[in-house]
Amino acid sequence: MINALATEFLKARRSRVPWVTALAFTVVALVGGLFMFILQDQGRARSLGLLGAKAALVGGDADWPTYLSFLAQATAVGGMVVFGLVEIWVFGREFSQHTAKDLLALPTARVTIVAAKFAVVVGWCLALVVQLLLLGLVIGALLGLPGWSAAAALGGLVRIGGIAVMVALLTTPIAFAASAGRGYLPGVGVLISAVFCAQIVAALGYGQYFPWSVPALFSGLAGPEQSTPGGLGVTLVLLAGVAGAVATGIWWRQADQDR
Amino acid sequence: MTTPAIDARRLTKRYGDIAVVDDLSLEIAPGEIYALLGLNGAGKTTTIRMLLGMVRPTSGEATVLGTTLRPGVHTVWSRVGYLVETPAAYPELTVAENLAVAARLRGLRARRHVDDVIDRLRLTPYARQRAGTLSLGNAQRLGLAKALLHKPELLILDEPANGLDPAGVAEIRDLVLELSREHGVTVLVSSHILTEVARLATRVGIIDRGRLVREFAADHLAQHVQRRLSLSVRDRESAEKALLTAGHQPVRTEGDVIVLTDSRAVGEPEAVVTVLVAAGCPPYRLVVEQDDLETLFLRVVQP
Repeated sequence: MINALATEFLKARRSRVPWVTALAFTVVALVGGLFMFILQDQGRARSLGLLGAKAALVGGDADWPTYLSFLAQATAVGGMVVFGLVEIWVFGREFSQHTAKDLLALPTARVTIVAAKFAVVVGWCLALVVQLLLLGLVIGALLGLPGWSAAAALGGLVRIGGIAVMVALLTTPIAFAASAGRGYLPGVGVLISAVFCAQIVAALGYGQYFPWSVPALFSGLAGPEQSTPGGLGVTLVLLAGVAGAVATGIWWRQADQDR
Repeated sequence: MTTPAIDARRLTKRYGDIAVVDDLSLEIAPGEIYALLGLNGAGKTTTIRMLLGMVRPTSGEATVLGTTLRPGVHTVWSRVGYLVETPAAYPELTVAENLAVAARLRGLRARRHVDDVIDRLRLTPYARQRAGTLSLGNAQRLGLAKALLHKPELLILDEPANGLDPAGVAEIRDLVLELSREHGVTVLVSSHILTEVARLATRVGIIDRGRLVREFAADHLAQHVQRRLSLSVRDRESAEKALLTAGHQPVRTEGDVIVLTDSRAVGEPEAVVTVLVAAGCPPYRLVVEQDDLETLFLRVVQP
C-alpha cells in the first residue's frame, strides 16, 4: 500500500492540477472576504467601484458567523465541483492517457491501487479545506470581522470540515464513472448531473433524502428556517460514498480491461 | 515434466455473437521465444490481454508460470514483464520517474533497478526528459524498459518494434535473444514485422479470426514453405508446350515468366533447361524461389 500511495502522490505532485484546485479554493476564500468587505460598509464599496451605485448586497452581516457560513456553503457546492474534478483526474487520466494497462498486471493488487488513489483524493481534498480555513482565518482577521468567539469559530471550522468529508465521500461514484467510462468525460457528466440534481431535489424540499443535497443543507444554504438533514442524511452520504468506492474497486478488479 | 511458462486451454472470448478469440490453445515452454502472427483484428491483443489477466475469457482457462489466472491473482505478475499495444507513460513525469513508479508498484525500491534498465535500453540521454516529449521510438523504449525493469522470467510483448527505426528494431531483437539465451527468459511476442519474427522466434503461431490456425517451429520453417522454379523465356507459348510435353505443369504464367511448382522441376532445374534448349526456347532467367514467412502467412490466412 505504501508503494502505491507513494506513486499516486508522485503523480499528483508532478501535475499542475493540485495548483489549479488550490487556486480555486483561494478564490473562494477571497470572494467570501470580498462579500464581507462590501457588507461592512456598502457605501465604501460603492465609492471603490466594488458595488454598483444603486446596488445593495443582502445576505447577512459582516461578521465571523456569516463568513464561516459562506465558507461552509462554498465547500458544499464548490467543493463538490472541485473534489469531483480531482476524482475525475486521478481515475480518468489512467484511461485518457492509456496508462491503466500498466497498472493491471502487477504484484500490487488492483484494489490496493484503487485504495491508494482514494487515499490521495481524500488527502488532497482535506488539504484544500485546511487551506480554505487558514485563508479564511487570515482574511477574516485582516478585515477585523466582529463576532469572534473561540467556541463559535471552532464550531464553524468543524462544520466546514464535516461538510468537506461528506463532499469527498460523495465523489466516489464519480471515480466509478471515470473508471467504467474509461476517461474524463463520463466522470464530468456524472459530476454535472449530481450538482444539478442536488439543486433541483433540494429546491423541491426532498434534499434530506438525496445524498448529494445533504452537504448543502448542512451548510445552511437552504436558509435558517430549513432543518438540517440529521442522521438519515449522514447515513445516506456514507452509503453513497461506500457504494461508490466499493463499486470502483470491484470494477477495477473484475471488469474486462480491453482498451 | 517441466511446467509450461504459458498454458492456455481452449480460450474463447466473445463479445455478443462475435468470437474475438475462438477455442485457442497454446503451450509455451520455458525459454521459448514464441511469435504470434496475425492480421489486424485477428485476436492477438485480446489473447495477450487474457494471458495477462486483463480480460476474462468467456470460456477456457490460462495458466501462467504455474498460476491459473483468476480475478484478484496478482503475485505471479512479479515474474512477468509486458508491453501491450502502444506504450503509454505519465507525460509530466520524466523517464526516470516513470520507471520509478513502475519499480515501486513492483515492490522494487533500489534505485539501481531503474538505472540499470535505463542504461540497458539506452535511455540515459533522456532520463531527465519528460515522457510527454519523447519521440515514438523512445516512448517504445520506455515501455520496454518498464517490461524489463524487474528481470522477468516471462516477457509478453505486443508489437514491440512499433515506432522503432531499423537500428532500434535490431537492437530490441538482440536484447530479446540475449534475454532468452543467456537468462532463460520465455518470450511471447506478437508482431507484424514478419522478417523480424523469423529471425527471433523459436516457434511461430498464426492466428486468424480468433483461431490458432497453424503452429510450427521456426527451424522447421523450410518444411512449410513452398518452393517453385521461376523462369523467363522469349517464346512463352513454345516453352509451355515443351514443358507440358515433358510432363511438367506450368501453374502460373505471366508475361514471359513461367512458374513450375512440381518437385521434379524444383529439384532438377537443369533438366528443365535441357528441355527448353532442345525446344529452341532457352530461358534467359531461371530462379528457384521459396516462400518467405510473409507469403506463408498470407497463404495460411487467405487460402
